[in-house]
Amino acid sequence: MAKSISLIRKMAGGGATAASALLCVMFVIYALHEPSALSLFGIGNVLNNTVVLALAAMGLTLVVLCGELDLSGPGVIAIANVVVATTSTGTLGTGGSLAAVLAIGAAVGCVNGFLVAYLKLQSLAVSLGTLIACQGIALLVLPAPGGEVSDAIVNTLSGDFFGIPAPAIVLALVGGLWLLLKHSRMGIWLYAVGTDEQASRLSGVNVRATKLFAFVVSGMCYAMAGYVYCAEIGSGDPRISDSFLLFMYAAVAIGGTSLNGGRGGVIGTLAGAGILTILQKMLFALGVADFYTNIFNGIIMILAIFFGQLSALLAGAQRLRKA
Amino acid sequence: MRMHEPPIPAGHAAVSKTPAARRALIGPELLPALMVFAATMVLVVGMKIANHSFGSFDQLTAIMVTAIFLVVASFGQGLIILLGGIDLSLGVVIGIGGMMIAGLTRGSDDALLLAIPATLLCCAGIGLVNGIGVALAKLPPFIITLSSGITFSGVALGLTAGSSQQSVAPALQKFMNSSFLGIPCPILFIILFVLAAWLFQNRTAEGRKLYAIGSSPGAARILGLPIAALTIAVYTIGGLCAGITGILLAGYSSSATLNMGDALLMPSIAAVVIGGARVTGGSGIYLGTFAGALFLSTLSTVITTLSLSQGFRDLVQGGIILIALVLQSGRLIVGSR
Amino acid sequence: MKDRRQPVLDFNSVSKRYGATVALDDVSFELHAGEVCGCLGENGAGKSTLVKILSGIVVPDAGEIHIAGQPFRPRGIVDARAHGVSTAFQELSLVPTLSVAANMFLPRPKLNRLGLVPRRQIEQEAEQILQAHDVTDISPAALVEDLPLGMRQRIEIVRALWRRPAVLLLDEATAALSDREWLFGLVDRMLQANTSILYISHKLDEIRRLCRRCVILRNGRKVLEDEVAEMSDEAIFSSMAGRSMVETSTRQSSSARPGATPVLEASHLKGPGIEDIGFSLAPGEILGVAGLEGHGQSRLFKALVGLSPLEQGTIAIEGVPTMIRSPRHARRLGLVLVPEERKSEGLFNDLSTQANISLPVINEASPLHFLNWAAERRLVEKVTPTVNLAERYLPLSISALSGGNQQKAILARALLAEPRCLFLFDPTRGVDVGAKQNIYAMMRGFVREGGAILFYSTELDELVHLCDRCLVLYRNTIAGELGPEGLSQDRILALASGYAGGARAIASSGGA
Repeated sequence: MAKSISLIRKMAGGGATAASALLCVMFVIYALHEPSALSLFGIGNVLNNTVVLALAAMGLTLVVLCGELDLSGPGVIAIANVVVATTSTGTLGTGGSLAAVLAIGAAVGCVNGFLVAYLKLQSLAVSLGTLIACQGIALLVLPAPGGEVSDAIVNTLSGDFFGIPAPAIVLALVGGLWLLLKHSRMGIWLYAVGTDEQASRLSGVNVRATKLFAFVVSGMCYAMAGYVYCAEIGSGDPRISDSFLLFMYAAVAIGGTSLNGGRGGVIGTLAGAGILTILQKMLFALGVADFYTNIFNGIIMILAIFFGQLSALLAGAQRLRKA
Repeated sequence: MRMHEPPIPAGHAAVSKTPAARRALIGPELLPALMVFAATMVLVVGMKIANHSFGSFDQLTAIMVTAIFLVVASFGQGLIILLGGIDLSLGVVIGIGGMMIAGLTRGSDDALLLAIPATLLCCAGIGLVNGIGVALAKLPPFIITLSSGITFSGVALGLTAGSSQQSVAPALQKFMNSSFLGIPCPILFIILFVLAAWLFQNRTAEGRKLYAIGSSPGAARILGLPIAALTIAVYTIGGLCAGITGILLAGYSSSATLNMGDALLMPSIAAVVIGGARVTGGSGIYLGTFAGALFLSTLSTVITTLSLSQGFRDLVQGGIILIALVLQSGRLIVGSR
Repeated sequence: MKDRRQPVLDFNSVSKRYGATVALDDVSFELHAGEVCGCLGENGAGKSTLVKILSGIVVPDAGEIHIAGQPFRPRGIVDARAHGVSTAFQELSLVPTLSVAANMFLPRPKLNRLGLVPRRQIEQEAEQILQAHDVTDISPAALVEDLPLGMRQRIEIVRALWRRPAVLLLDEATAALSDREWLFGLVDRMLQANTSILYISHKLDEIRRLCRRCVILRNGRKVLEDEVAEMSDEAIFSSMAGRSMVETSTRQSSSARPGATPVLEASHLKGPGIEDIGFSLAPGEILGVAGLEGHGQSRLFKALVGLSPLEQGTIAIEGVPTMIRSPRHARRLGLVLVPEERKSEGLFNDLSTQANISLPVINEASPLHFLNWAAERRLVEKVTPTVNLAERYLPLSISALSGGNQQKAILARALLAEPRCLFLFDPTRGVDVGAKQNIYAMMRGFVREGGAILFYSTELDELVHLCDRCLVLYRNTIAGELGPEGLSQDRILALASGYAGGARAIASSGGA
């Protein structure tokens, strides 16, 4: 009997399958309204708008999976953005600035990870502190919007390779890396630590190193998201966006990852990011006025997260635990 | 049958073996408050040494006056954090409060008597929405308040079309700038407010229940404490405090913009954390929050005096939160594994 | 005949304290190859600290440990395993959302050429390992959270011993097992492979069956070490408890008044984790509840105060049918629960002891909502004598108190509400012997005044000596009810293990 329940659960795939299904449905609805969406250009356009959120939410997924919270994403993105805007055309160039922001992201992740995993501080408070500090650093680097992103970056990331849009390649790469991680030892440790830290420790898992890993990699994901963001806006903007933070959590939650940790995955998050992007585009296409989008964002995020949590709960609901 | 681990009193390091007769709730929690007061002194004295023109009586008074906003805002935030939650919509509600009072009074005193209650009601109402959301939805408070902040800022944006209000009731402006018996009115307000806040948080039965709920929600539930009611009440108080802050801020600046409260959100959280409260709730006395608010206001003035940029201010604030957290944990970790 | 070879495990003068509490005090013993040594002790005697130290989770404050002559100072579980020490934990160390196979090879499952964990391959290997240890009904692909407790325990045990450790620690390994012979068979096999086993249990019959020697801990000290055959039950009990069990628990005359209207009457209760439970609680009665872990008792107690939903059934309080909606409601009706988990469900660690006790009635000590410490103190001092809680503890933070005093504070709090019925869930767990006596006295006093107690305990002795009657739960329903004449540890154990009717022949007493 235990076998068949596991089988059903595998088929249901947890929240990720539901999210992917929802994504397809929404894309169809969107395409019915905007036929151009079905073209290569249209899909590329959607991917373009999705990729920043997808990358950032992917990083967040890793941290949430191991049972912690992270608010510092938008801060790292801001730093990455302004660093690229100020150095990509000059001192560091395209490749150099990429390396620099990845290093910065890893560094912020290190700070978060060390304080949370080794000093056992609350991740909400710590990441709030690093968020504010990152905002400060971003403002110090570039006090006002400006700077310039090198053409190479803009063109590469907005263009395509052999007909495939660059964002698609980035997302595919990212998805592939996740699948490798999921089936590696570290992947197992992430899920274990998020589910039951005590049992993991008793089983010999290095809980602290696992959490540190999650924070460092997520920092690098945020940095990557910031790098790609540069291509989108072409210049630097040191201000962080509250809405974006909420979007990140919504993408994670819709994708079926439980905010308590231990369940879910990046594939679901990618679908969640896609759903949110298409939702935005649908609102725009319906002519919803700009200031209403804020309201919609706020309410829809809450609903999205609520239902996302519900689906993660249902995925883990079949339990044979007795009293 | 399950055996249990030996009793592990992983309490404060300050608890000694010989039981000294200490009163409930005070003692180890007074320490961070005193340390922060000391830090504030150090800051002022340091600035005085570095810059002789700093630290005149007028300037110190001015620092106290500007502290009023953070003092009021951080009390509400402090109660919410005490319960184990957080309010990320505080900045938005402050802005809404300011805009409302300005918009309702439009530069004259006629409507002031009605405008103040109306504004407070509205801001408390947003707090109520937050509270109901947290009490019922079982979602993390940071998500609920983050999205309510975004939603209500959208609503406010739509209603005001983003414009700022230039005219605030003169009586308000006078209040913020005048003195009574030689003491600036805002400082009198602070004294009364701090007294009321301290009494509520640390000397009432409801305050005691808040500490209990924050300390162990599971035990509170089994005891039948009115968790949902207190949660809603606390977030409503948070909204109310934000409204008061908005009104005071509008009076002080003689104008109001929607985002004028944004700069107070992070400091309100920082003040509570620096004051020794745990973010998970259940600990920290009001004196600590007050000390934290005072310290951060002083720091802000120092940074402005030194002509340092906003970026530097954020960096320092973020760093201080992290340092405060590290220091807190250092006190809590007693033995080895 | 003393074994003169070098011992496999030499545990020498090890001490460990947590703040003001001494967990282990200068404990020494030895383990030789191919032998099983028992470790007995009450709750809080130091057994689990011992296990943690040997497993590498906790670092001792003093003392030395040697394995096969080499110093043993492990930095963690993996390090301990590398030195040949392996543990099957009482609080199972399996990760629920992972598969059996993944858990089996934690933390370092083997990798394929790509550096990934080959799922099918490790499942096959896990299958082989399970088969080799006579486990044929568990699929390696199953997720641990889908398996019942008994299967999980078996996995925990197999996981601990399949790598043939030099020293094996079995901590309450039979708590959830339905077939103990399986474990005994494995133990025999391990012995033939020259493994040393430390068998921690409080079930005397198992110790007698498996162990030649045994060590008894009490309050962190080793109080007895001898050949098992040389020790009588009486000697063992008095070493464990510090005084003769018979003397401490003489049956007093019952205060029960079965003719009066029942304080509480439940019938056909059904809900998650509860299948058709009904009982009647008379005033002055202590009704015991017995059962192996996970057989419905936790849910039952929670349901009686409205913490767990009930799908069917009725509850009548003093004859009046009532629906208990919430713990708050239950309290108003005079039903108070003293919960299972002190740490997470009973204590407010940041508050003082006095504040902990006064909390439910704090409004009475607060004129105009302002706290009045003197009034609060007077309120609290009405009940502290009943549980024999010294007044000097009241101003202290409750986290500074010992487990026994903490439990007394929680009981004092329950009494302040002047309930008509107390639901006590394993109240003496982790409590020292002196505090236990205070608690028993409080219970007897409470029912003498006309109250009623529903009392779940994992100590069969308590059930036999304190209760007027005892319900035995098995598989979430009542397997039987034992009246004053038929109330014996054997009968309780038999019913709790699913043997309806005659008791199993068990050599001596022991926990359920």
